Amino acid sequence: MTNNFSPSVEKIVNDYLKRLKLHLKGFPEKDKEELVREVYSHIYESFVTDSTGDEIDRILNVLNKLGEPTEVVSSRMSTAMVSMGKQRKLPLYILAGVTIALFGVPLGIGGFAFLFGILITVVALIFSYYITAFSLVVGGWLGLIASIIKIADPAILDRYDIETMTFFSDPTLSGIVGIIVSIICAALGFFMFWLGKYMMRGIRFLFSLPMEKVKEARERRRLKMVRSKYD
Amino acid sequence: MENKIKQLRKGILELAILGCLYHESHYGYSLVKTLSGEGDITLTEGTIYPILSRLAKEGLIRSEWIESQQGPPRKYYSLTAEGKNTFEVLNGEFKKLTELIVDVKKEPGKKGQEKERKKILVKKEREDDK
Repeated sequence: MTNNFSPSVEKIVNDYLKRLKLHLKGFPEKDKEELVREVYSHIYESFVTDSTGDEIDRILNVLNKLGEPTEVVSSRMSTAMVSMGKQRKLPLYILAGVTIALFGVPLGIGGFAFLFGILITVVALIFSYYITAFSLVVGGWLGLIASIIKIADPAILDRYDIETMTFFSDPTLSGIVGIIVSIICAALGFFMFWLGKYMMRGIRFLFSLPMEKVKEARERRRLKMVRSKYD
Repeated sequence: MENKIKQLRKGILELAILGCLYHESHYGYSLVKTLSGEGDITLTEGTIYPILSRLAKEGLIRSEWIESQQGPPRKYYSLTAEGKNTFEVLNGEFKKLTELIVDVKKEPGKKGQEKERKKILVKKEREDDK
């Protein structure tokens, strides 16, 4: 950056821009650079216009009026939605959650254990949900194949000692019922997969909410620290 | 209440930005100064940038870096033809809405008058009946 500020002011501005860049992760490099340049220009214009008090007060006031990087990048709520749209991986959220629980939130071991328990439960639930959906689909397809074979030639199944659902004594009727049951099973499995997409989105959203809050709290603490350093 | 005011402002901010750029081109900071006027409205200045980038993506505004006589270059924004068009349509719609709000304010008076008129009518009918 060009040298328009005194070293201490420059330091504060650079700190702000660094944090802004952090919030621009995932944006194209060109857009990122352009926005940072634009915000730098904004800070400069605002700083030059305001001429009351000493430098440090002025620059802090300028940044205060500009708002936190989260506001420059996107308005409050939509950031959670945006990151959802960007298909962030759930494991990343869990990892971040554990990290914050360990280092960020002063809850102690009890709090950490509690959070960890919740996380494990959620993961287990998701896992079992998908296993169920998967087995329904696979089971459905296998049942379908078995039923078709049963209608075509019941002897084949007997030869390999495969037992299928026998609803009626007539193998054809039993096969047809088998096909219907299998298709319903498979459809249910697919439906669960489809529903799972929304469930994951919901869970992701739930995870992102507290994380936003933690992020904001950190930013605020940071700004306070910077402020106290220069006071 | 605070939240409600924020929401309302956010909705109108986009229109206000288009309105500012309709008459002249602005860079971010001058736009903020124009929008907040004589300091009647406190605006978190950074919030204009997401809106500006969205408007640019929609093709309603264009931007251009211009060297400043002092300090770093400024990014000037101006409306495209489509942007001007959009502003005129939105502004018309907005005016209609504000008129609606004024009407809502007037409503009690009108209703009162109408009630009185009805009363008079009823009285007349009764008199006629007699």
